[in-house]
Order: sequence, then structure tokens, then C-alpha cells
Amino acid sequence: MPESTPAPTATPAAAPAGRHAGAAAALAGTDRAGDRAGIRAALAGVDPADPRAVWRALGVAGITAGLYPDGAQPHPGRLAALLTELDARCPLGVTLSVCVQVATVAPLLAGTEGPAERARRGMLRGETVVALAVTDAAGSGSDLLDATTRVKFGAGTATLDGGKDWITNATSCDAALVLARHRESRHFTSFCWLLVPAAAPGVSTESAGRAFAGAGVGHLRFAGVALDGDAVVGRPGRALAAFARQAGVERLAGALWARAMCHRLLAGLLDWLRRRPAAEGTLWDRPAIRERYARCLVAVRQLDALCASSLASPHAVPAAATGMVLKVAAAETVDRVTTEAVRLRGADAFRDGGESQVRAEAAMFGIAGGATGAMLAGIADHADELVGDVS
Amino acid sequence: MNAEFTELLRPFLKFAGPDEITEEARLRDLGLDSMREIELLFAIEDTFGVAVPDDKLVDSTFATAGGLWGVVEELRAPVGGGTR
Repeated sequence: MPESTPAPTATPAAAPAGRHAGAAAALAGTDRAGDRAGIRAALAGVDPADPRAVWRALGVAGITAGLYPDGAQPHPGRLAALLTELDARCPLGVTLSVCVQVATVAPLLAGTEGPAERARRGMLRGETVVALAVTDAAGSGSDLLDATTRVKFGAGTATLDGGKDWITNATSCDAALVLARHRESRHFTSFCWLLVPAAAPGVSTESAGRAFAGAGVGHLRFAGVALDGDAVVGRPGRALAAFARQAGVERLAGALWARAMCHRLLAGLLDWLRRRPAAEGTLWDRPAIRERYARCLVAVRQLDALCASSLASPHAVPAAATGMVLKVAAAETVDRVTTEAVRLRGADAFRDGGESQVRAEAAMFGIAGGATGAMLAGIADHADELVGDVS
Repeated sequence: MNAEFTELLRPFLKFAGPDEITEEARLRDLGLDSMREIELLFAIEDTFGVAVPDDKLVDSTFATAGGLWGVVEELRAPVGGGTR
């Protein structure tokens, strides 16, 4: 993954060519090239494999705070610029660490008071890392209603018990935003958010292993964790609703990141195919290889097109159906591109950090934040809306 | 229940078909699952300009069409009077 094939300097959907390009960027409220230059400057000299150093540099330079010009939600164009620059230079795990915080955690903490607001301000400065702890140790990540991590409220106190598995930033966070059940009913209104300090007595963390290096993926356990009443974030009963709405932003972020990754991989692959000797020419001269490559280009341009309307909007919250379509499209495009990149490069794909490793880790695009099967079920529920009327 | 409410409700009920949605209709039986309930909550709040308060954010609020409409109507009612 850390191969540093230069990312494309502009993507067609994001930066229309020609004399209207500047106006379009101005209308979108952002100067993408300027955003990316600022991010590159912020990360200059920073170890791209050190997630804390990257997070700190983004905060110190004002990049993280600048993602939210209108308050809670990230600006899509700035989010795209950040993820593209991170993808170009950082291991996948480091980009994942940043992505979940800027797309999901910071927005969920917005508009709060007390510890949650202090944590959010610390995140914007790059001083505080907050994990998002949703997937329950006792159940499937695709069915949150079965979660058994529970909080019991007392007089101004809360006690948390349970566990969360496969949590990004678990081993490196200062605190975790934990989805916990406060009522027994199997209903979306039975959950609340708690901000739990990682150092609180009763909190323990176990690394999930070597996958996603830099993401700090691990398992969290809560054994009678005593919290003050102000650990509750937002309105109890609204946690799953808030998460569902924020999942759309996370899915957009995933699509923007997937798109950047695919453009980068295809640029590197094209360069390699053009240099790889074959008979009296190069691999790029062979029609069968050109066709396979072209099919990847078609898939990536389809993903570009899906992202285009979101990038043209100053608001990052897509409709539920749009978010699910983006999620599936991103997962399938990444799978197609990484699979073809491995096949075309052959043994070369298995070098350290090569396409084989990228493909293994990038499979998370079809799992994390909503498995493709669950997304397709949700998309089918929106069939009438999505079929629409093309006349 | 007013027509605007039932028409808003219909796309969330995959088993409702073209039949009339009665006040007694159990929303789960008509195909309303948990994720669609969340989307329905947002749609109701946006369409009717209400915010469902914490004490109404319970599963029983979403049990029947009539029960949910009752909550919406209560939230829409001006202070000191209702619309029923």
C-alpha cells in the first residue's frame, strides 16, 4: 500500500476542464488544488506511517478544522482533497484512522457540551484521537439492534458493561464514542452514545493483529466502567438515528477515498504496463490487456460520476439510498481494480506493499460501515425512488 | 389520519401494496424494519416540521399507523388546543 505512485492532480468529475473550471470550483466553495497544496504542505516531513503524527500535523495546520466551514458536517470537496492526499502517501490504515474520525466521529460530537465538545475541539487541533465503537462483540455489525453493550444510569452516573470488536483507533485513542443500549427493547430508540475515556478504570484494549497497520484496530472491553452523567453524548434514544444519518457521510467519504485509490492504482498500473517488455514491445501493446485495463477505467469513471453530484454540493449528507449506492459502487470498483491490478502485474503484485496486499486490506470497503449484502437489501427497499423517471 | 401522512407512510411499508392504510395497521406487519423506521422518523420531522421528544422516542410510538399519527398530530397541535 505505501507505494507512492503519484495521485492524479485532478479528477475529471471534481475539476471540470476548460475556462469554466475556476468558476465551478468557486461555486463549489472550494479551491481543490489549493486545498491539496495546503494538505501536502501540512504533511511535508511527517512520517506517513505514524497515525498520531499525521493527525497532529493536520490539526496544527488547520486542515481538520477547515473541513467544517458550515459547522458539523465536512465539506465534500475538502474531504475528497484530504482523502486523496492521504491515500497518495499513507498506508491504508493511517488513512482509515483519519477517515473515520473526520467523517463520523467529529460530526457526531458537534453541537454537544462538556467532555464531548472538549474532545471535538481536541480532535480539530490534532491533539485528541477518538475511536468510534459501534460493532458489538456479541453480535453482527450488520444488526446493531442485537448489541448487548449496556449502560445503566444512576443519579448523575452511568455504568457501562460490554465489548466492541474490530474498532479503528481502539489501541491508540484517548477516548471512544461508544454505542450502548440503555433500554431492553429491540428498537432503534434503545441506544445512546457515551464518550468513554480510554484510561477509565474498567476499560481494556486488545490489538486485533497486524492488519490495517496504522489504524490501531482492536477490541475494547468495558467492565463496570463508572462514568459521570455528562458522558452521554446527544439525546438518549437518538443515537442510532444520528448514526444512520452520519453513515451516509461515512459512505460518501469511503467512495471518495475508493475513487482516489483506484485512480492511483490505475495510474501506477498503466505506467508499469507501458514499461514492461513483452515480445518486441510492452504489455500495453497487447489488445487483451488493454481491454481489461479499459474495463477498470469504465468502472472508475462510473464511480466518479456517482460522486460528482455530492462533490458539487456544499453539504456532505447524502440521502440514505444515495449513500448505500455509493457504498456498493465503491466496494465493487475497488474489488475490480485491485483484482485486475494483481492479475496483470502477476508476481510483481506480491512485492512488499504491492497490489496483493492492497487488495487484501481494501476488501474492507465491502465490509466496514455496512456489508455489501446489507447495503443491497437497503437499496432494494428504495427501489421505487431509485428507478425514478428518466423522461 | 390525513392523506399527506398516509402517502408519506406508504413507501416505507413494502408489504402494504395499494390497500388502504388503516389506523390499526401494525407497521411491522406491513414491512417497516428498524432502519426504515429511522428514515420514517426523519421524513415525518422534515415534512411536518416537528421534533419527536425523548419521551415519545420509544418502540410503541412506531407500533401502529394510528399511534404514530397521534404523536405527530399532538406535536403539531398549537398550545392549548388540538386538531382532532
